[in-house]
Amino acid sequence: MLSDYSATITFIALGAIFAYSFYAVLVAGQLSLGQAGFASVAAFTSASLAPDPDQLGAVPTLLVAIVIGMAVGALAAALLGLPTMRLRGVFLAIATLAFAEAVRILLLNQEWSGGAQGMSVPKIVNPGLAWLALAVVAYWFWRQGPSRYGRALRAIREDELAARAMGIDVARHRLSAFVAAGAVAGLYGVLWAFFVRLIAPEDFGFSAAIDGLVTAVVGGSTMFLGPLLGSAFLTMVPEVQRALGVEAGWIRPFLASLLLLVVILFLPGGLASFLPHRLRVPTATGDDVASDHSGLQPRRHPAKGEPVAHLVGLGKEYGGVHAVRDVDLEIRSGEVVGLIGPNGAGKTTLVNMISGLVRPSSGRATVLGVTVGDTAVHKVAAAGVSRTFQHSKLFARLSALENVLVGGHLVSRPTFLRRLLWLSSARRDEQEALEHAARCLRRVGLLQLASSRASALSYGDQRRLEIARALASDPTLLILDEPAAGMNHVEAAALSSLIRSLAEDGLTILFIEHNVRMVLETCHRIVVLDFGQVIATGTPDEIAANSLVVEAYLGSEEEDPGDDEGGSIAAGTLPDPTGGGAGISGRS
Amino acid sequence: MQQLLNGLFIGSIYALFAIGFTLVFGILDRLNLAHPAVFAASAFVGIELVESAGMSIWVAIPLVFVFGALLGLVIERVAFRPLKGRPDAHFAGLISSIALAGMVIALLQWRYGPDTRRFPIGAFPDVRLEVAGAQVTLLQVVILAVSVALMVALTYLVTRSRLGRGMRAIAENPTAARVLGVNVDRVTATTFSISSALGAVAGVLFAMNVNSAQLGMGTAIELKGLAVIIVGGMGSLPGALIGGLALGLAEVFAVQYIGSSWRDVIAFGLLFLILLLRPQGLLGARRVREV
Repeated sequence: MLSDYSATITFIALGAIFAYSFYAVLVAGQLSLGQAGFASVAAFTSASLAPDPDQLGAVPTLLVAIVIGMAVGALAAALLGLPTMRLRGVFLAIATLAFAEAVRILLLNQEWSGGAQGMSVPKIVNPGLAWLALAVVAYWFWRQGPSRYGRALRAIREDELAARAMGIDVARHRLSAFVAAGAVAGLYGVLWAFFVRLIAPEDFGFSAAIDGLVTAVVGGSTMFLGPLLGSAFLTMVPEVQRALGVEAGWIRPFLASLLLLVVILFLPGGLASFLPHRLRVPTATGDDVASDHSGLQPRRHPAKGEPVAHLVGLGKEYGGVHAVRDVDLEIRSGEVVGLIGPNGAGKTTLVNMISGLVRPSSGRATVLGVTVGDTAVHKVAAAGVSRTFQHSKLFARLSALENVLVGGHLVSRPTFLRRLLWLSSARRDEQEALEHAARCLRRVGLLQLASSRASALSYGDQRRLEIARALASDPTLLILDEPAAGMNHVEAAALSSLIRSLAEDGLTILFIEHNVRMVLETCHRIVVLDFGQVIATGTPDEIAANSLVVEAYLGSEEEDPGDDEGGSIAAGTLPDPTGGGAGISGRS
Repeated sequence: MQQLLNGLFIGSIYALFAIGFTLVFGILDRLNLAHPAVFAASAFVGIELVESAGMSIWVAIPLVFVFGALLGLVIERVAFRPLKGRPDAHFAGLISSIALAGMVIALLQWRYGPDTRRFPIGAFPDVRLEVAGAQVTLLQVVILAVSVALMVALTYLVTRSRLGRGMRAIAENPTAARVLGVNVDRVTATTFSISSALGAVAGVLFAMNVNSAQLGMGTAIELKGLAVIIVGGMGSLPGALIGGLALGLAEVFAVQYIGSSWRDVIAFGLLFLILLLRPQGLLGARRVREV
């Protein structure tokens, strides 16, 4: 009975392994169709290099072939990935597809691969071996999911730029996901070759690549069992039709396509969305966001008053327009510096340069020992800069807790390899990272929403989640880009006291805000930008009394600065830790 | 000279097919993988119109154009509109259009069977012309003329008309376009319908050129269409035209000087090179990423 179905059972396993090679990159948001090419080179190379099973025995031969095939697949992926990893979306898909097509045509024209006739290969793979291989692959991705590495890949899928700003080396992660896809595709190629007896380049053509992608997407790329479900579903559909007596011909492909359409339209997460998904929310004790806990990698922060950022003549020009011009600024540890100015004054461009996202076109800036502009964003983040974005850049489909876990990327330890071996230290470190994330959420008052999707949060909560995520990296310099935008005055007041309490913990904070009253209440020192230039710096009192600032905001020369209501608010501000204001240095 | 003309004829079909592809991509940022199925379906429908209904090919081509336009509306309504606003719309649109393409091909198999079909003998006049020492059939001239006429009309539509302004507005920012009173759903549906109509005419012209239609003919041109729109620049209409002609010429000369089995390696090698050196394509604009 079982033997009647042994081919079907084996094809489910093989299809699932191939789908895992797509899953491996889909989890990082990459659409690649090159897996058919990797499988192809792996199948042909291993089939021609593998020893004779009569001499070595069947299973050892297969093992040798698998090692060769996976190595070849991974190598091909690395070689293809190095130049193509900067391509995104459809462009990557088409580039990798072009590679697969080139491989196919190349093999068709080679003597050693048998050209269009293909190669005959001994049959070794049986259902047991195929499912054993599948189990190993599924285990790999199961353990990858909730590890630091797996979270980083999901973060890249959701928002690459924010992932960079959280200190994730996006290029390296994307490449390693791609190489894993190559190795798994290689495994598939070898198993396929040693199962079907005869392989031809056409077995790994465009339609094979589409099948693999369809299987992975139908199964769902948000859950490690997805590819297996997808493969079982798509392999069983024709079998069930046959068992039900649906005649061959057009009806079978029609129904199969219809089912595929229904699944993709009505099950956004694929078949895996039927499976329950649970998220442990740890009970946080305290709200200390520093990283000096045993499972985390503690940060060293500069002592109070030491320079954190040093900008000399910094400027940025966009095609003749000076967004920022000739800015000199020094930020010292423990300061809360407010950056204000009218719309279009260059505030965001300035903090983008400080956090390494935008390369300055003139001048230089040193932040925490790194020269920004020459340094990749994730390295600036690693030096201790963390930020929020003016337009919220959360990882929309991840929970609030996962967002903050990604924020803790730099201070948590890598756990994937240890999770593969079930080491208890990995478990401990993960638990520590979870508790750290929960403390950060609690600090901003979002712990009760830890398991909500980021995209489901209200606007104000999203802003606070961004702050929690930025805090999770235990930064030295925290940059907030209009954190109070869209908040009412009660929320803004709460935010203001949060910022002050963070400063008491020793963080250095640079924040952009349009709510001048809040800036005056919160900051030790304020820098005013207008038309890309610093027109004033000083204590809140000085800024509130500065006629240039009032003019920049109100555009009026007759305004009497002494009557500005900011002056009275400023009376209650914090003392300046740097020992008095730098005075007003109008530079326009 | 003969080769040059042959390359231009086949290239104009590639261009017509690719323009339909790139039109949807340029406006919606989505690849419509049901486009090749439209290509194949219209070839079969065209043959049936000529064979069974006894129509002249001159009547059949406009009818196929309408057929393609209707199919485009179906594709948009079934495979793309339900996905609007989903975060994975990019992947999901690929898959849903593949699924719809599978259904179309299955229906073709039901209607026409799995075999190759041809136009009846004498469907088009067998007139041969001599152009600068090269043999040209009237058929080839017609193919070139129809392709160029459609592409010119499309360019005019996109750059000059109200509909074209709506399309370009949606390409820039769908939300803003909606706020400004552009009926985004209708313009999107119209775009799909125009795109599919062009793909349909390309299909029937291709079938005329090789005098055969097969169920798998869409898959064969799909890869070439992708190559053309990458080389020309995603979303660029003139780019698709130039890319299509260039691919047609490259193929013809590759067959002549290198050998037919290496023909496609050249196309994909070129594609790969373009992607690495100039990912936005020859005439594409680089999209600026917003921080």
